[in-house]
Amino acid sequence: MKSFKGWSLVAFTLTILLIVSGCSDSASGDSTREMGDKSGRGSGNGKDKLVIGLDDDPPQLDPHLSSTAVDRQVLHSLFDKLVDIDEDMNIVPKLAKDWDISDDNQTYTFYLQEGVVFHDGTPFNAEAVKFNFDRMLDPAMGSPRYGEVEQVEQVNVIDELTVEVQLKTPFSPFLGDLTDRAGMMLSPTAVKESGEDFSRHPVGTGPYQFVERELQSHIKVSRFDEYWGEPAIIKDVLYKPYTDENIRLTNLISGDVDMITVVGFKDIKKIEGNSAVKLSAKEGRGFLGLHLNPAKAPFNNKDFREAINIAIDRQAITNVVYHGAALPAVSAFPPASWAHNPSLEVPKGDLTKAKSLLEKSGIKDPSFTIKVKPVETDKQMAEMVQSMLQEIGVTVNVEMQEIGSLLSSAIAGDYEALYLGWDGRTDPDGSVSRFFMSNGYNNYAKVNNPEIDKLLTDARVSLDQEERKKIYQRFSEVVFDEANYIFLVHIDENKAMKTNVNGFIHYPDGMIRPDRIYFD
Amino acid sequence: MMEQVQKGEITSVKTEYPRIRLMKEMLQRLLENKLAVVGGVFTILLIFLALFPGVVATHSHTEQDYSAVLVPPSAAHWFGTDELGRDLFSRVIYGATTSLKAGLISVGIALGIGLPIGMLSGYFRGVWDEFLIMRITDAMLSFPPLVLALTLVAVFGAGLENAMIAIGLVLTPSFMRLIRGEVLAHREKEYVEAARASGLPSWRILFIHILPNTIAPIIVQATLAIAAAIITEASLSYLGLGTQPPTPSWGSMLSTGQGYLEQAPWLGLFPGLFIFITVLSINLFGDGIRDMFDSKLK
Repeated sequence: MKSFKGWSLVAFTLTILLIVSGCSDSASGDSTREMGDKSGRGSGNGKDKLVIGLDDDPPQLDPHLSSTAVDRQVLHSLFDKLVDIDEDMNIVPKLAKDWDISDDNQTYTFYLQEGVVFHDGTPFNAEAVKFNFDRMLDPAMGSPRYGEVEQVEQVNVIDELTVEVQLKTPFSPFLGDLTDRAGMMLSPTAVKESGEDFSRHPVGTGPYQFVERELQSHIKVSRFDEYWGEPAIIKDVLYKPYTDENIRLTNLISGDVDMITVVGFKDIKKIEGNSAVKLSAKEGRGFLGLHLNPAKAPFNNKDFREAINIAIDRQAITNVVYHGAALPAVSAFPPASWAHNPSLEVPKGDLTKAKSLLEKSGIKDPSFTIKVKPVETDKQMAEMVQSMLQEIGVTVNVEMQEIGSLLSSAIAGDYEALYLGWDGRTDPDGSVSRFFMSNGYNNYAKVNNPEIDKLLTDARVSLDQEERKKIYQRFSEVVFDEANYIFLVHIDENKAMKTNVNGFIHYPDGMIRPDRIYFD
Repeated sequence: MMEQVQKGEITSVKTEYPRIRLMKEMLQRLLENKLAVVGGVFTILLIFLALFPGVVATHSHTEQDYSAVLVPPSAAHWFGTDELGRDLFSRVIYGATTSLKAGLISVGIALGIGLPIGMLSGYFRGVWDEFLIMRITDAMLSFPPLVLALTLVAVFGAGLENAMIAIGLVLTPSFMRLIRGEVLAHREKEYVEAARASGLPSWRILFIHILPNTIAPIIVQATLAIAAAIITEASLSYLGLGTQPPTPSWGSMLSTGQGYLEQAPWLGLFPGLFIFITVLSINLFGDGIRDMFDSKLK
């Protein structure tokens, strides 16, 4: 009796298993056929879902509270900005179809696009723009955007579709700042309704609207049918986090991921050699380098800083660590930037000159510690610097710290040298003021140089690009001479995608705008 | 644990046979165990590498050659070169120093703390044995070892020294437990009673009489713990919290190699192989020692 019971249980389980597997079989069979039929018709639209592999799970989907780059990848499909950039980093209309700037560079008048609605049906108008600026400026919000819009004195609604922004002082980087999160427009209705919960169901005017999110699994957005501009081609976009770059790439090559936002430098050759995937590369607008702490020995000695600056062979780092997908750096501005100074030469690792500077500095048996993130490329860079400086008799220790404690060390000034870069901003000001102005937000080295302050302030006031260019060129020379920060490389902006992904436009900010992407 | 506590048997063996004959027999038992011999030979080789890496290494373990990055294994570079053009063979050899250091020092710390506390706790019993020490070890043993080590390293900061301290602390409770159990079994034996009756002070009874009789299981536990410590150090370095560059560590080499599995498989293969062989050898050797002390196995 007992054994009969046991057998019947096994039989029952097997039957259930058979039924279940039968069901899933037929289901997947159907969907394959459906896809086959569609592509057979030559529409080239067999797939209606784009899967984007992110390098992390975005912590924050409220543009006014976001402080990581990975958030922006998702935000750019949900929110439109007042203005945008084109492929060559020119500022182009978006929600503002046109604008005027007063002669004193202190009043910006935006003429808004008509017929725009938020995903929740709220109309987009001048009131909504004012609401958004007020929210960023509200001290109670503690918005990371504050630094980008703090020059705003007040926002006046002129009529339904015209809004005027008054600045406290002339601030030419203003439009550049509005091409990213500071220019993203949130639905006032949704913000008032959900308050601090806005991040969990973000509402904008973008080509895609938020559908659902499962933490550490995926974020799903879907085409917004009442979109004011050209509607998105692919219906659904799924963002999936893959923190490990090898797993991310494997999922692109052999999994269901269509595009990845961050590509490992060592993998570039592998991608180029694989016919299933393709690479899109663009010269980056940011920089990577070493913050030297002038408040601490040995970096309180200017000759020593200079010696280090010229002893490091940037080209070798570019080749070995970044596998050629980078440019050696000498200033914050890459050669493609209008602010670049071509007369500054990238140091090639001049050890003889470095040695004589070292002697001049009078420091005996110099040594210092570089703090880096526990990231393979950062570690390799540090080991190369360690080996290069050993040749001039400088001992370098490397200490790895995860990003949170690394930033705390930076802010507290608890470091000798620290490897941290910046991904760059549309306006040159956004790439340098925060690090080099005496009151800069990220002035870890506590640089306090009146000439730098004056140059950067002048560059903010002027609207004439030629004049600003001269100022930034001079600025780069002063910063190089001071050597509080050693610019090492400008890394390329790389995206990788399956071969059938088309219509991708590679914007200099590295953010994917998925609405023009299609499969074929 | 139970198994080891029962090793009280050994003393009775000792009193029945002359010492020399016993040692001969034990050595014979060890040599008959082929796996233990292989493990022992590899362990001795490893110790040699760790003590004299410079003798075996063919290149400098830190010198970078940017023109020979990720070169496959060849006559010039037996294990190939790594992502910065360093000779992998030499780095793996120097990595033995790190691993052995991590194994020995952390077990040394664990023994240094665990042995005296465990002995006193087992001999004197009382409230602080039952309610304080044993409850603390219970609490510590309830954490997975790697998680506890990670937490400790996060508190102390990354680096080989801190990793060794953390691993040592993580290993301590198991030693404390073992030693306490052993002492607990011995304190009731006749020879201890005799010693007590003849008026010997407690410290003498503990360290001159009981300790030598409990040493066998401690040695076995220590060999196994060395292997565990090497793995933990490799794991911490793999996570970037152990050995800091450019000091080679098998764990951090393995971690780098993982990213190059397709482009340069040798980068992960050789450090991984050495971790595997080392831990296996030490474990086999430890097992052999355990059997050597166990008179019931014949």
